[in-house]
Amino acid sequence: MTALVSIDKLRVGFGGAAAVKDVSFDIAPGETVCIVGESGSGKSVTSLSLMRLVEFGGGEILDGRLVLDRESGPLDLARADTETMQQIRGGEIGMIFQEPMTSLNPVFTIERQLTDGLRMHQPLSATQARARALELLKEVRIPEPERRLRQYPHELSGGMRQRVVIAIAMACRPRLLIADEPTTALDVTIQAEILALINRLKRETGMAVMFITHDMAVVAQIADRVVVMYRGDVVETGPVAEIFANPRAEYTRALLAAVPRLGEMKGKAAPEPLRLVGDDRAVTPLTPRAVPEPLLEVRNLTTRFPVKGGVLRRTVAQVHAVEDVSFTLNKGETLSLVGESGCGKSSCGRSILRLVEPVSGSVFLGGDDVLAQTKPALRAMRRRMQMIFQDPFASLNPYMRLQAQITEPMKNFGIDGGIEKAAELLDRVDLPRDYLRRFPHELSGGQRQRIAIARALAVSPSLIVADEAVSALDVSVQAQVLNLMMELQADLDLSFLFISHDMAVVERVSHHVAVMYLGRIVEIGPRAAVFENPQHAYTRALMAAVPIADPATRKLDGDLRFKPIPSPIFPLDHQPAPSVYDTVGQNHRVLKEV
Amino acid sequence: MSGFFTGKGIFGGGIVLLVLSVALFAPLLVPDAWATQMDMRARLAGPSLAHPMGTDQLGRDLMYRMLLGAQSSILIAGTAVLMSLVIGLPLGVISGYFGGWLDNVLMRLVDTLLAFPALLLALTISAVLGPNFTNTIIAIGIAFTPYLARIIRGEALRVAQMPYVEAARAAGTNDLWMIVRHVLPNIMPPIIVQATISLAFAILAEAGLSFLGLGTQPPDASWGLMIQASRDYLDIAPWTALVPGAAVAITVLGLNMFGDVLRDVLDPRVAS
Amino acid sequence: MAYIINRLLSVALTLLLISLITFVVTNILPGDVAMVIMGTQSNPEALEGLRESLGLNDPLIVQYGRWITGMLTGDWGRSLVFKEAIGPLIADKVTASALIVVMSMSIALTAAIPLGVWAAVHRDKWQDNAASTTALLGVSLPDFFWGIMLILLFARYLGWLPSSGFVHPAEDFVGAVRHAFLPSLALGLGLMAHLTRMTRSTMTSILGQEFIRVARAKGLTERTVIWRYGLANAIGPVMTVAGLQVGYLFGSIIVIESLFNFTGMGWLTYQALLNRDIPLIQSTVFVIAAVVMITNLIVDLLYVAIDPRIKLP
Repeated sequence: MTALVSIDKLRVGFGGAAAVKDVSFDIAPGETVCIVGESGSGKSVTSLSLMRLVEFGGGEILDGRLVLDRESGPLDLARADTETMQQIRGGEIGMIFQEPMTSLNPVFTIERQLTDGLRMHQPLSATQARARALELLKEVRIPEPERRLRQYPHELSGGMRQRVVIAIAMACRPRLLIADEPTTALDVTIQAEILALINRLKRETGMAVMFITHDMAVVAQIADRVVVMYRGDVVETGPVAEIFANPRAEYTRALLAAVPRLGEMKGKAAPEPLRLVGDDRAVTPLTPRAVPEPLLEVRNLTTRFPVKGGVLRRTVAQVHAVEDVSFTLNKGETLSLVGESGCGKSSCGRSILRLVEPVSGSVFLGGDDVLAQTKPALRAMRRRMQMIFQDPFASLNPYMRLQAQITEPMKNFGIDGGIEKAAELLDRVDLPRDYLRRFPHELSGGQRQRIAIARALAVSPSLIVADEAVSALDVSVQAQVLNLMMELQADLDLSFLFISHDMAVVERVSHHVAVMYLGRIVEIGPRAAVFENPQHAYTRALMAAVPIADPATRKLDGDLRFKPIPSPIFPLDHQPAPSVYDTVGQNHRVLKEV
Repeated sequence: MSGFFTGKGIFGGGIVLLVLSVALFAPLLVPDAWATQMDMRARLAGPSLAHPMGTDQLGRDLMYRMLLGAQSSILIAGTAVLMSLVIGLPLGVISGYFGGWLDNVLMRLVDTLLAFPALLLALTISAVLGPNFTNTIIAIGIAFTPYLARIIRGEALRVAQMPYVEAARAAGTNDLWMIVRHVLPNIMPPIIVQATISLAFAILAEAGLSFLGLGTQPPDASWGLMIQASRDYLDIAPWTALVPGAAVAITVLGLNMFGDVLRDVLDPRVAS
Repeated sequence: MAYIINRLLSVALTLLLISLITFVVTNILPGDVAMVIMGTQSNPEALEGLRESLGLNDPLIVQYGRWITGMLTGDWGRSLVFKEAIGPLIADKVTASALIVVMSMSIALTAAIPLGVWAAVHRDKWQDNAASTTALLGVSLPDFFWGIMLILLFARYLGWLPSSGFVHPAEDFVGAVRHAFLPSLALGLGLMAHLTRMTRSTMTSILGQEFIRVARAKGLTERTVIWRYGLANAIGPVMTVAGLQVGYLFGSIIVIESLFNFTGMGWLTYQALLNRDIPLIQSTVFVIAAVVMITNLIVDLLYVAIDPRIKLP
């Protein structure tokens, strides 16, 4: 069988540097090839080169051939002229991108954005194009397609927008669909829907798919063949089962070892660090103490944000961000708050530290109510609770040396130690001591997150709130930081409130898990109980949607459809019902439906 | 494309340096007597060896007057921008960092002042106070304050919402320390850029005020006054307009280029 | 609807504040109206009598009340210099200035948008450098200097256009445009330079967005991608900046109208300031600030009309 696309010795440069050095692989008709790699691997540049879009971003194809098998015979896209490329783009190769929120032109209707591509490639009248656009929206299963045609992008949810972008890419029945991280910005349930949709369209139309991703779990779910890239080179290619079962390249092995797999903690009593390639230290589980000692007790915590509007911009409604949330976190343990975007998990963490002011409830830390403290007393209490933020690039002051940033909390609380203590903290987070004189921009993302951890440890807190602390990191770096956090917990008897959207990571690190939905905890219990015996419908939906990094367990067939999450905005006079729970096991409680 | 050592950076920086040193050393290089010396036989004379840039309607040497004009122009514009920074910085930082009702009140006031075109405001203040050297500074300074306060407030607001400020708050940092260590260093680069561009605008404003007779007063040298005086002799002595006009243009161009380059170099949002 | 009401309320409040500021600024004058009328050497008793009769001895707040009531009821007082009722005088001059403001804005936008888009498309290439440097030069020259150069070239040297005076459009439209052309061009050149820079930076950021890549991936021609997909998104921001520049224009007309002896609002304001005609200063300054406010209001409302993201329920 001749390849649909044959990439041969591709070399792409940006200015002086080569982003893609020597890349060769084929895509056969009707197959899904996943290009996987971490940031800087050149996977996106490869796909943009195939579309010859890389030139618009300042890149240049320096060498190599990009042969597309067209009906009129093979053609090297690297040398094709502008007119030919315009026929191929959207006509023979469709492409979808990462950010559904910015992928559509905000000032044009959906109809216009669907039809102008169609009419570019096919001689259709306005009516015919409109009919075809409607057909396409039905094909990507958008609810109420007729209405969508007249709408503007901002009126659609992220998932719907990504469906529209797919419809645009599918408009002229391309023989190849390039998907560049199409689900990275989406929630896990929407991700599952979109992956299932791409799979179905591929089956029904027989097109090939070139799928770019950093997520090995997604690869396992969707790929026929896999191309692993690292720093501009292909390190390994092979069928998906082969790659996962017998990775040959060192890099692939390390990558796979760093990926937490949902379900692999089954039967284990306590969280344990990931076993990484090249790290031969013994892996010790984090067994909690026999008699749990409560550290943080949250009772009926409620946080609402005003929605301003109307004449004179009065408060017209409220976002019920956190609604009657109660849980207990024990000393030396990790409790995870898990849920999709907008579920209130971050607001909950910030409310506990009073970085936002809750409306009601109580938060006891070692017996003292955080919410009852005066401002100076609160400042004093903050010594016992620290926070690590998501974005390692924004959570450090770019104009301050790291030493000043690490010692700042100590100065605030009059703790002695200064530079010596800061140096010890760097030892603690496995960074060289001379980093103290550096500025944040001289560090990588993972190193910055280690600095953020060192800064949090500076005042020896008993509680650390980690808000999506590893979400922005590449998977191998993520694994190292997770291991570090677990190590610190074992050594320093730390308690973590671990806020995350990633079920597999949560399963790995938690003693207890609370699943949040629309501001409430819908299910809470020991990690094993929640993951192995989920009771609430939403927990089950989440578990069903999470891709598993194992090609033997595929679950994205058929047409997945999850219930969309309703809005958490309510009128001012709305009186929500209290959260009432059924106990279904030891410490395992499920929200009673109202 | 970044760095000072691009064509634009060298040119802009060079002009700024040149104009600043001329302004600084003009009184030493050009004794007052030279610039006020009237050569009645050589009124409105074209460029010559004795007068490289020609003379004005009173036979005064245009090059000397242009150099002295640089001094008053830079002095007035610089002090005025400094004045608006001294007022605008605390206003903007307090407004942006603390927010709340104070922010609402201050920004309402600033928005109201912004409805007055800056030149109109400066002219009115100058006319009301009586045009002279000090009042020109005050007039331009007041007229520019709302612009700077608005920009500084926006920057302070942006920085106040950054995770590192929240992290510092969670680490027990108080408001004063927060402003000194976290907010000010991070808003400085855009403010320096803005101050450079404001300096360019202030030079244009000073020239405009003097041109209308509501800024620097004769017999002091000023580019705006020189252009004003040239109006009646354009046909016979166009250089009387070209010399001060070119001086303004080159100075402002240099400052604007310098500002553009500073923005590229200093702004962390543009630089990666 | 709530948005419009909020904007109108805000404009009303700002206008009130504008009137207050205008009144306060003009009252810190060392002299007062009586002194301007009678001269500084006048007899103190006569001066005092005039003050009393003009109500200048009343508390400032009472004087402000009287002034603002007059402004609201259409009684704007009489100019000391022109010995005329201020209301009709300003109405007449505003029409003249509107002509050059509209003309200069049209000149500036017609040139700036294509030039800015062109520079953004060829970002960092010679085309961009040429356009950007020209624009930088444009914003660096004072507009009165442009004015003098234009007078030299078009009026003195080529003799194509008149260099001074104003003709009412209702009397002779062609003559009005001919007289307004050079001042409008002098204003428009600096404005054009500024708007070119603005269009360039807006288009540069738009062209870097994902939906532009999506449009290219559809196979649309570059012309469609840039001039439809790109420009449709740039129009709003560029229009907003152009609206804000109306304020700048109303400052610049003071200089330019005086230079060209073009008897509009700028010229009138200048005469008022030069002669310390306090009632006239108050009215002209207030009217200019109000016109600027209302222009910005109109631009905001237009933005709402063209951008689907801001919806009016």
